[in-house]
Amino acid sequence: MAQHTPQMAEKIKILYLDDEPDNLTGFKASFRFDYQIFTAVNVPEALRYLAEHPDIKIIFCDQRMPGKTGVEFFEDIRGTFPAPIRILITAYTDLESVIGAINRGNIFRFIKKPWDQADIISAIDEANKYYHTTSVLSIKNEELRKAYAELDKFAYSVSHDIRGPLSGILGAINVAREIYDIGEMKEMLFLMEKSLKKLDTYILSMHDYYSLQRGELRITDVDFNKIADELRDIFGMVAGTNNIKFDITVDQREPFRSDTVPLMLILNNLLSNAFKYQNKAQADKSVELAIVVHRGIVNIEVKDTGMGILGNHIGEIFNLFYRASSQEAGSGFGLYNVKSALLKLNGHIEVNSALNKGTTFKVSIPTK
Amino acid sequence: MVIDDTELDHFIAKKMIYHAYKRFEVKPFYEAVSALDYIKGEGTLLKANTNTLVLLDIYMPVMNGYEFLDAFEALDPAIQNKYYVVALTSSHEPADMNLISSYKSVKGVLSKPLLAEDLSAVIRRMMIEKDIEML
Repeated sequence: MAQHTPQMAEKIKILYLDDEPDNLTGFKASFRFDYQIFTAVNVPEALRYLAEHPDIKIIFCDQRMPGKTGVEFFEDIRGTFPAPIRILITAYTDLESVIGAINRGNIFRFIKKPWDQADIISAIDEANKYYHTTSVLSIKNEELRKAYAELDKFAYSVSHDIRGPLSGILGAINVAREIYDIGEMKEMLFLMEKSLKKLDTYILSMHDYYSLQRGELRITDVDFNKIADELRDIFGMVAGTNNIKFDITVDQREPFRSDTVPLMLILNNLLSNAFKYQNKAQADKSVELAIVVHRGIVNIEVKDTGMGILGNHIGEIFNLFYRASSQEAGSGFGLYNVKSALLKLNGHIEVNSALNKGTTFKVSIPTK
Repeated sequence: MVIDDTELDHFIAKKMIYHAYKRFEVKPFYEAVSALDYIKGEGTLLKANTNTLVLLDIYMPVMNGYEFLDAFEALDPAIQNKYYVVALTSSHEPADMNLISSYKSVKGVLSKPLLAEDLSAVIRRMMIEKDIEML
């Protein structure tokens, strides 16, 4: 995010270019208490100041100068120093060229000679506001561009991940009309159920994604032993049915305060992955969860003996919709949501994995 | 060959294929990578005038249909000729349709859910193009 300097605290930097030294002195004397004034008597000097002080917000320039006119100077620097707001100081007779320059967008305002203190001050105020608006605008534009790119990716995934299972169900219903064997019918019903469950998980993950985007944290005391019991309930059946040993150890000797919603999201997603990406054929499958609260930080370790993550995927697994495995396809939201939740809680995560041996996720979160 | 990451879609495709022509042998592949490896292995061993219909799902994780086609079209043309690739997609988006049709090796596009008549039409077209007789 851009740093916004409060206008009251720091003096606005202004450059004044004029070939007559008396004008420079007069200008500086009038305004040096409220603004930081740089005066230049020729173009090279002005350019030096601009290079050294990229935060000069406003340039006042006299029109009548030997060599280059103010209009020409402004036209030149528009490419190299586009940020400062350009104000021309001119006598009435120069108006023709001035109007052309304003229309080409090279000049923000012109001030008539001899200038009035009030005119200069109001020009500075307006120019400063305009400067601020334009710089904020370009930052916002970049943010918007990124947001649109993510939205496109999102829309694409949503349409395919939701329509995919739906078209599968429709296809199955169509096929069912020609099936007369109960065994086959049951087999197909089982597959349809699987598809719908996957769709449901996807929608729930998407809901988590949205919830994480908004909402303030609700901090309460966290009892990790209670959380461990909840997790045993949630994952007990999956562990039993698939012959996966599930061990939880909790070491909490001090209080810990945080928001249980993102905390449970992190634990649920990591554990759900640990159970999902196991090697079906393997004999000793296990998932270990270790929670240690020490000195205001909780360290959570989720270890599995599953299929592991290929080295070249590890850098990308936290990206939205990134799927590293085609065997048990995930929703693409899981780890991204974990990362978002950790951002909210000021936590960190690291992952270690070996193909076909297992994966370990280590999470640390400070108490609030 | 049916290349798709969803079991249910494999079940449906198999039913539809047998319904269209009982003597087809259906080989399922759940990921594009293994299908590609299989083609690289089998492709050189097959006789010149054999033909395999490939139903290729586009939206798959890890290696999607597009990436499979990029790799497939880089293979020896003699191998490519033994496979008749038809894309499967549940999308109706013009962007997807355009991208799919830009691949030379894709001979047709079928919409999911797969319908018997559409599949039969594709099979008939393949028979004509490849000059195969129904046994």
